[in-house]
Amino acid sequence: MAKVAREMVEISGINVDELVELLVKNAAAELTTYYYYTILRANLIGLEGEGLKEIAEAARIEDRNHFEALVPRIYELGGKLPDDMKVFHDMSACSPANLPANPTDMKAMLTVLVNAERCAVRGYTHICNLTAGKDHRTYALALAILNEEIEHESWFSEFLGEGPSGHFMRRGQNSPFVGPFMQ
Amino acid sequence: MQIFTLYELSLYDGKNGKPAYIAYQGKVYDVSKSWYWQNGMHQALHAAGQDLTLSLNQAPHGADLLQRVPLIGLLVE
Repeated sequence: MAKVAREMVEISGINVDELVELLVKNAAAELTTYYYYTILRANLIGLEGEGLKEIAEAARIEDRNHFEALVPRIYELGGKLPDDMKVFHDMSACSPANLPANPTDMKAMLTVLVNAERCAVRGYTHICNLTAGKDHRTYALALAILNEEIEHESWFSEFLGEGPSGHFMRRGQNSPFVGPFMQ
Repeated sequence: MQIFTLYELSLYDGKNGKPAYIAYQGKVYDVSKSWYWQNGMHQALHAAGQDLTLSLNQAPHGADLLQRVPLIGLLVE
């Protein structure tokens, strides 16, 4: 634990135990989403599915990166991950991104993907709001993750016909925002 | 539709197997089966058995999400 770092956050007025629980729940959401996206990506097949596979893969890898980036901050603040993987899964901040009943229905697949990203966008916006101007390190990390989650949401939203994402897909490098937290 | 006072609402806090109810703008919702309300807690910060009107107005989501859970009653003063 980073004793003084935790103390500084406490002095700022943040309930550190609540914040740590929130970080653990979001770390659980990231790792479980990585797992569920693995299944979704494997089922993105055929003419329509192949077109989505690349962005689903980018989102999958970046969600795993978010998990990796969150874990050190949890321990710095005196928290820990649950010993039991099932407990960890069940405390996720977002519900499971289950494979739709009909995996060949690309609209259903995209709806699962976009809903998962929207849950994440809400979650990290919440953490940013809680920590802004108080816990600078958690804020910077949550903001970096939020930037990537917003891009994921807009990719899937675009494919659902909700409007242009406004940017291009990743080009050879994942996690442009979170990468610096993983050095 | 069932009528709840704040005290009666507080009895449904989702702890120890009890149902989890929350109130928003005078309406009471059953969130017991929601993934987001396990053990009567939402995102580590909000507890069931309470009127969450003020909290929800500051949340990173709208009240439209309450359409996903059953409306079961009304909250009276």
